[in-house]
Amino acid sequence: MNSATIPIALFFAAIFTNNILLANYLGMCSFLSVSREIKTSVGLGVAVIFVMASTSMLNWIVYYKILIPLELEYLRFIVFIIVIAAFVQLVEMIIERVSEVLYAALGIFLPLITVNCAILGVSLFMVIREYSFLESFIFGLGSGIGWFLAIMAMAGIRQKLKRARIPHGLEGAGITLIITGMMALAFMGFSGMLPIG
Amino acid sequence: MPARGKAKKTFFEPMGKNNPVFAQILGICSTLAVTNKLENTVIMSMGVLFTTSLSGFTISLIRKLIPSRVRMMVETLIIASFVIIVDIILRAYVPDIWKQLGPYVGLIITNCIIMGRAEAFALNNPPGLSLIDGISSGLGYSYVLIVIAFFRELLGTGEVWGITVFGDWWTNWSIMIMPPGAFFMLAIFIWIVKGVLMRESEEAAK
Amino acid sequence: MKRESLFMTRIYPVFFMVVVTVVFISVVSGIYLSTKERVLLNESIFQKMAILYAAGIDFPEGKPQEIQGIYEEKVMEVEASAGGDSQSGAEAGDGEPAYYEVELSAGETGYVVFTSGAGLWGEIVAAFGFSRDLSTLTGIEFVEQNETPGLGARITETWFKEQFRGKQGPFVLVEEGTADDANELDAITGATRTSNAVLKIANEVFEVAEEKIGGGR
Repeated sequence: MNSATIPIALFFAAIFTNNILLANYLGMCSFLSVSREIKTSVGLGVAVIFVMASTSMLNWIVYYKILIPLELEYLRFIVFIIVIAAFVQLVEMIIERVSEVLYAALGIFLPLITVNCAILGVSLFMVIREYSFLESFIFGLGSGIGWFLAIMAMAGIRQKLKRARIPHGLEGAGITLIITGMMALAFMGFSGMLPIG
Repeated sequence: MPARGKAKKTFFEPMGKNNPVFAQILGICSTLAVTNKLENTVIMSMGVLFTTSLSGFTISLIRKLIPSRVRMMVETLIIASFVIIVDIILRAYVPDIWKQLGPYVGLIITNCIIMGRAEAFALNNPPGLSLIDGISSGLGYSYVLIVIAFFRELLGTGEVWGITVFGDWWTNWSIMIMPPGAFFMLAIFIWIVKGVLMRESEEAAK
Repeated sequence: MKRESLFMTRIYPVFFMVVVTVVFISVVSGIYLSTKERVLLNESIFQKMAILYAAGIDFPEGKPQEIQGIYEEKVMEVEASAGGDSQSGAEAGDGEPAYYEVELSAGETGYVVFTSGAGLWGEIVAAFGFSRDLSTLTGIEFVEQNETPGLGARITETWFKEQFRGKQGPFVLVEEGTADDANELDAITGATRTSNAVLKIANEVFEVAEEKIGGGR
């Protein structure tokens, strides 16, 4: 726990100024490929928010209540990934049983999320920055929402791009990266918004 | 194809046409973050190289024993183990750089390339070749990042590897050390390479 | 129906996972244990290097033995109970010295204290070096920070730290590259909040130093 973070400020920082994707480069793989379609972006985005918020809490518990007392912190990489994978697996199973509709909308994205570096990244940042349980949750939730915003914005822009003439070599990944760069630039402008300091 | 020839092909393929980073944009996640300093990028690349090659080798070694049900879990476990080893070694021998690399060392685990090569290659090929494939994927990946890091550090701080190259006359392009700079550099890199490759294939088609 | 299918589909995978897990975790643990001492040594040297750097004392990087030697020669750890007024009694419990008395280059005495404050993302812990009369800084070094890489984290860059040498508070921030007077500090372009956080810590440290060192001089 540290004195630096006022929960609401942390929340907004996680979404805007320290956006997990635009400022911390995490979650690019799926971001680049899925942002082609708005519909799938929404599905993936929501799934990411849910998984990020949940796993940051779970991993906090595992790290501070199990790994540290046993002096096994160096195994956190393996343990976090297992927790994430198991959680995703569990959620997928539950959704499949409970709701066909929800499964059709979200369920298929879940396996994709397991290797999304942003999810693991959130847990690792939590450890490095020594967040409390509440802070981890807020950070996870905020980061998820931030990622969601980024992918939605990108999907929207790419829709418009379909009518633009793009230099041959930039098609696909190239132009997407440039737009990501511009979005990152724009998000940096949010810095002045926050009340602290 | 004689064994020697196959090894050569295995080595060069991931570096060129099938270079994981620019052709498939896999795995840029982790390492773009550290490309603001050349030194950090080189150390990180060594870590990735170590992990890619040894995990490919190990997975290939036991590939016939792995039950298909737990395939992904085993691969993840092996990759994660090597990453932890890298993390421990870095922490012990270069603690300053380890601190700067932060969570990004751990994120090598989720690096799509490593898992991708394991699935695509290591599972179906003998250990020797898998090792070579791992090494070359690692190298192919590294050289892209090193090039990006070189320009980011040079243009952003006027230094390369901490040594001043541009003197006082140079105004730092601060944007280069910030995230947008990394994204733009990678895009430009892809553009250039694709341009070159496309021209090559057009020539070949004639 | 194959006989082996029960074994193959249920038992073998579990058995395999357990064996593989045990093997790999053992190897990892082995490496961890064999480097543990080195890691601890690095951390203690890291602390010592921070003190020397903040005091402006030169030391050869990457040579733990020599650094240790210089440290022992020039630095004296002063515990909380000896000297200093009762305010610093708060530190007494954690075994860390309240401050460090240092022999500066010309043979004069200087002091180093550790202090911390809130950064943007987490605590910033820094060592500040002072001249004998506690009015001028001899230097600073950051021991812990979690600021944004490429922006706030640039506080650990040499140019940023070097600017503190010989400066006197109370400080004000100015645009990067324009600091002139002894109370002006270059902020980091694009890292306003972190720069402000460091400013606050730097302005408050004079009081901290008075508290910890004041009485015992």
